[in-house]
Amino acid sequence: MREGIKRRDFLRVLGVSGAGAGLVGCSTDEVQKLIPYVTAPEEITPGVATWYSTVCSECSAGCGAWVKTREGRAIKLEGNPHHPISGGALCSRGHSALQGLYDPDRLTQPMRRSGESYEAISWDEAEALLLEGVQGADSDVVLISGRTGPTLTGLQERMIEAVGGRRIEYDAISEAPLREAARLAFGVDALPSFDFESAGIVFSFGADFLGSWISPVEHTRGFARASGTDETFRKSRFVFLGPRLSLTGQNADEWVPVEAGTEGLVALAIANIISATGGDAGPYTELLGAHDPQTVSDQVGISVDTLHELASLFVSEGPGLAVGPGIAGQGQNATAVNLAVLVLNTVGGAVGRTLFPRQAHLSATTAPAGDLLAIVDSMSAGQIQALILHGTNPAYTLPPAAGFPEALASVPFTVAITDRMDETASHADLVLPDRHFLEAWGDSNPRPNLWAIQQPAMRPVPHFDSRASGDILLSLARGLGQDLGAETFYDYLRMSWLDLHAAQRSEEPAEAFWHRALREGVIDLLTGDQEAPSLQVPDRALTFDPPALDGEGLTLLVYPSSRFGDGYSANRPWLQELPDPVSKISWHSWVEVHPETASDLGISTGDIVRVTSPHGQLEVPVWTYPGILRNTVALAMGGGHTRFGRFADGRGVNPMALLPAEIEQTSGSLVHLATRVVIEPTGERQRIATIEGSSDQNDRPITPAVELSALQAGQLEEEEHSEIHELQAVGGFVPVPTEGRPEDFPLEGARHGQYEPEGYARWAMAVDLDKCTGCSACVTACQSENNVASVGEEQSKMGRDLHWIRLERFYEEVNADEPGPVDIRFLPMLCQHCGNAPCESVCPVYAAYHTPEGLNAQVYNRCVGTRYCANNCPYKVRVFNWFDFSDVPEPLNWQYNPDVTVRTGGVMEKCSFCVQRIRQAESRATLDGRPVRDGDVVPACQQSCPAEAIVFGNIRDPGSRVAQLSESERSYRVLDALINTQPAINYLRKVTFHPVEDIHV
Amino acid sequence: MSSLAVESERGAQTHPDIQSYGEVNVDILKMLSRPGKLWWFLFGLATAGVGLLAFSWGNQLITGIGLTGLNSPVGWGVYITTFVFWVGIAHSGTLISAILYLFRAKWRQSIYRAAEAMTVFAVMTAGLFPLIHLGRAWHAYWLFPYPNERLLWPNFRSPLVWDVFAVTTYFTVSSLFLLLGLLPDIAAARDQAKPGSLRHRIYQLTSFGWRGTDRQWHHFGKAYLYMAALATPLVLSVHSVVSWDFAMAIVPGWHATIFAPYFVAGAIFSGVAMVITLTVPIRKAFGLEAYLTTKHFDAMAKLCLVTGTIVLYAYLTEFFMAWYSGEAPERQAFWNRFFGPYWWAGWIMLTCNGMIPILLWFKRVRHSIAALFVISIFINIGMWFERFVIIVTSLSHEFMPFAWGTYRPSVTEMGIVIGSFAWFAFWFLLFIRIFPPVAISELKEVLPAPLSRSAREEAAR
Repeated sequence: MREGIKRRDFLRVLGVSGAGAGLVGCSTDEVQKLIPYVTAPEEITPGVATWYSTVCSECSAGCGAWVKTREGRAIKLEGNPHHPISGGALCSRGHSALQGLYDPDRLTQPMRRSGESYEAISWDEAEALLLEGVQGADSDVVLISGRTGPTLTGLQERMIEAVGGRRIEYDAISEAPLREAARLAFGVDALPSFDFESAGIVFSFGADFLGSWISPVEHTRGFARASGTDETFRKSRFVFLGPRLSLTGQNADEWVPVEAGTEGLVALAIANIISATGGDAGPYTELLGAHDPQTVSDQVGISVDTLHELASLFVSEGPGLAVGPGIAGQGQNATAVNLAVLVLNTVGGAVGRTLFPRQAHLSATTAPAGDLLAIVDSMSAGQIQALILHGTNPAYTLPPAAGFPEALASVPFTVAITDRMDETASHADLVLPDRHFLEAWGDSNPRPNLWAIQQPAMRPVPHFDSRASGDILLSLARGLGQDLGAETFYDYLRMSWLDLHAAQRSEEPAEAFWHRALREGVIDLLTGDQEAPSLQVPDRALTFDPPALDGEGLTLLVYPSSRFGDGYSANRPWLQELPDPVSKISWHSWVEVHPETASDLGISTGDIVRVTSPHGQLEVPVWTYPGILRNTVALAMGGGHTRFGRFADGRGVNPMALLPAEIEQTSGSLVHLATRVVIEPTGERQRIATIEGSSDQNDRPITPAVELSALQAGQLEEEEHSEIHELQAVGGFVPVPTEGRPEDFPLEGARHGQYEPEGYARWAMAVDLDKCTGCSACVTACQSENNVASVGEEQSKMGRDLHWIRLERFYEEVNADEPGPVDIRFLPMLCQHCGNAPCESVCPVYAAYHTPEGLNAQVYNRCVGTRYCANNCPYKVRVFNWFDFSDVPEPLNWQYNPDVTVRTGGVMEKCSFCVQRIRQAESRATLDGRPVRDGDVVPACQQSCPAEAIVFGNIRDPGSRVAQLSESERSYRVLDALINTQPAINYLRKVTFHPVEDIHV
Repeated sequence: MSSLAVESERGAQTHPDIQSYGEVNVDILKMLSRPGKLWWFLFGLATAGVGLLAFSWGNQLITGIGLTGLNSPVGWGVYITTFVFWVGIAHSGTLISAILYLFRAKWRQSIYRAAEAMTVFAVMTAGLFPLIHLGRAWHAYWLFPYPNERLLWPNFRSPLVWDVFAVTTYFTVSSLFLLLGLLPDIAAARDQAKPGSLRHRIYQLTSFGWRGTDRQWHHFGKAYLYMAALATPLVLSVHSVVSWDFAMAIVPGWHATIFAPYFVAGAIFSGVAMVITLTVPIRKAFGLEAYLTTKHFDAMAKLCLVTGTIVLYAYLTEFFMAWYSGEAPERQAFWNRFFGPYWWAGWIMLTCNGMIPILLWFKRVRHSIAALFVISIFINIGMWFERFVIIVTSLSHEFMPFAWGTYRPSVTEMGIVIGSFAWFAFWFLLFIRIFPPVAISELKEVLPAPLSRSAREEAAR
């Protein structure tokens, strides 16, 4: 018999498989076309960004911002370097404004209530309904507005006056007690401003001035400049006095644990001691006399010696600055506590040096919630016929005990001018889509002399048929027969600013003034020198005793979130996924409990507990935290939305549910420090979405620090830097001694490729850990610049977040039981661009390789996703796209930076040192015919850092800042001596006032 | 002849109970007859398992590798564990068929065929995982050096590329070696099969026209010898290369020079245990007690004992060196294996690989087929967990404490891992039904020369 395949069969098989192979090559993808502009818009060159100056309104600080737009789309926010408040930096909330602009859950059209649901209507119809509603109300109209710029505020007031109604301002985060205290102390009815840069010593009585209090970016810059050790070894000291270490508290040098509500007594005792040695307390002398150290020590449990020590520091290391207590510490004695702190400042000589009552912070809301609660009473009593709500969400931010949604039902006509169908708007009769600040006109007046324009950076996002609230009001006024002098809000604003200019009587023509305002983003008007005020006789009596709290159990602190504020920015994936700077938790809420307390209660991190106050109840997972008093627990505001958007709804809990609707009599502010809570385990657990593995360095030289006196004595210089002997294959495995500095790359014998390294830059970075406050602005800036995707709650719980940079946080010294040093260290960890990168040799397809300029490059389209590089990276800075996360709901994708690839699933990514910015700077330099200068390349993280902790540049350039900083005796590289990775990032050690055990690097 | 002499002669023989050559043909080829219910049941299970594998993998390809439980820092988990597990198992087959051939060990004859088949199928199973664990598996061919217009080579410095060459070579050589050795036996089966049937056609194709002439036998002998010599270094090199996936990394717990011999010993250890696990049921099911005697199992058990002791020594060396280094990351990585979140895996590993093989020191245990079967299963559980412990615990506890994290395998991953076992079983079950799983021709070589009837009667008296 014949064996084997016949020739015919063979050819048959060959033919079919050959044809099959050919078919596979055909693609069914649609052909996509690029069509150039027929008539190009002015000022737009495709591929070149256009920048606009504006003001960020995410919080009340009033930071100036620059908006980068590409082809008519806003894609990045940065601080305006000319603006004194932001100084070029911007916080995470500021960056996230883009996700507010492109929020897919914004209202698309005006909505009218019909029965239980809402129907979309046209603007004409909506405006007609609005007019009808307001007219029908006669003068029983109330406008409740969130924080607005001065011109819009003025327009609102004029409009409401025209109909005989009232305007009240409401913001859930209101420093009304501080304002009242300033009025009582100095006769200036406004928030003072603070100069942390001039302070030699700072006492914070609970104010989170680096995270969420009044003007965090500005305060961070000033604080970092003062407390960052320079070559003269000058370093300011920071003592934190309070029940809980906020992010600010974590940056302190010393923690004096103080029960919530007793801060005022401590401040008075310290002021008493200072005034005894010469400080003038004026009309408060008697008050201070009543709060001598012994009396106060007995009341609050802090030793007399400690009080004396504190007083002595405040004077000897001055100029001192005391701030406090912030929103969480706002109890029934809030005004009194603030007043006590102002008295301490005056007695300690801060006024006019670090504290400026007349240089008022005008843009912050200081409206008392009591005004709104009074309105609620009127609403319930049926006295209000029409209610206009603008940019405010009281149904969510007020405690349920206030009964706001119920009161709304008693108002015949409610209209909400807002950007989404939120908890409040979903009770309104008419809902009008407002514009986002990035697509609208407005202005800001953060200081008496500073005025800034808020201008639209792009045409309104077409997905949303929105209108500027100013335009709506002008149209309404017209309908009511009132002429407010302008057709549109733009005209009204311009008029207002030209009036401002006229009042200056300067020689600059009006138009030139207007254009300068638009271009530079801020105008500094001379207001004349003002004398620092002195203490006045208070016109009301205050009690300084700690407030009585409801309920029993553990003291509850409800604090504003540094990511969401009062919850306003909760529908932004960037912020939800940003690990909270204190807890490192994302996407869900947590209750902070001291580890000993948790252990006594039989609970640990991840256990879900029931938190009960006399006013409400919640279930939330526990996070144990050594930085809080044993008898105190804390919850952040901003979670627990029910109608806010797909990223916010159903996530976390709203701690306002635990609070009563109680007002502090003196200032009218809402009491946050009001109640105690009982914590009970529910028996359930949940996985915590955290980036934190361990916060103990575990005997590894990751963030060594140095004591100031040791630094001054030169002890670091004397320290022997361990020499690395690199075993190189070339030359027969001879060990080559090296220090592994970035500028040494590439070592002789380890050369990759055929190029002369001296002709190229070596990009490197220096990060000053003495300045870094752990605020995480860099994380969001990087995400915004580099199209880094958000992965969601479930993926975050699995440990799959995609952040290119993370803030590691280590507890070296935290003691909630007695006053003493606190040492919490932050380490921004990003790709180190190692000269001897472990990731490069193991990638099977060369997706990870080293460029001649020293960058560790990741080629996305070459990556097959073996993840060997991530396994071999000792710093764990490589992140993997486990799914394709790039498909985001419109119009969030409008934010993407066209200069950076959007990665698909199955691909590894990591920090690229903003290579797109490097290339852009190099192109610009080539076009200009010059070399790249130091400062031309600013990666997004450095650009955004309020503390100016990050410096990037070419370390081969001896004049560059990064080269100079890397020479500092404080500089070290993470793990380098252990594994010879030769990182390009030099970290500068944190400097402490207490002795530290240095783990040998 | 006295009975004592007969006894000692018996003892010297490897298969004392086989009487004649003809018996061998009949017994072995009988295994290729119509399969019984048990086989169909097992085959059905295996097919279902392969279906699970296909479904899980397909789903993973479409939806994304995120269907696993992997994360940062644990980028490799049960897929790579199972990959190393199967590659390891493959090695003992080649050891038994090639190395023991060169050493002229007489007891290998009846088991080496099944072992060699196990090798080929184990490599086939292992070879799935480098594809399965990729983020973009459709670009896997980029790891091969093929001519392309961008003039790109793969990175030859990467151990993963070495794996590509090692595993491909191993698969090629092992399958050729298996096929070569099978030729005379397939011919025997062909001659027995009904002409014109499907079976006959298959045997015709795969016997490559073997006629059993002197010349063919001569060439066969030489070819087999050279193939054995070629396959021998692979036993040591392939798993050394696979171990370098870990040893070449800087991960504490991976970066140790002992990995190559440690893994090779471990491979033989687990592979021989798997051979025991496979041959005990085959022996029972097909009544091969005369062919697979306690002598064979005793020899395999001794091999397990030796390699298991080497593995235990390697563990102790690792612990000692980690402590001796004085380096915190190294010391803590090993401490973490037994007292960290994966402590249970560490102790399973130590117990199954370190404690249980101690039983093999006892002859009674080595001569008990049932005991060996149970022990072999524990050894393989232990060896799977050894790779899990090496990979997962080391990755979860590296240099940067803030980045430490744990990993839980997902349903998709377990589906694919279980499916891989089913895939292996699928091919093995098919093999034992189609091709003779005991080497007929080689077996005959070690049987004593056939005596005439009268001589046998003489010997019995």
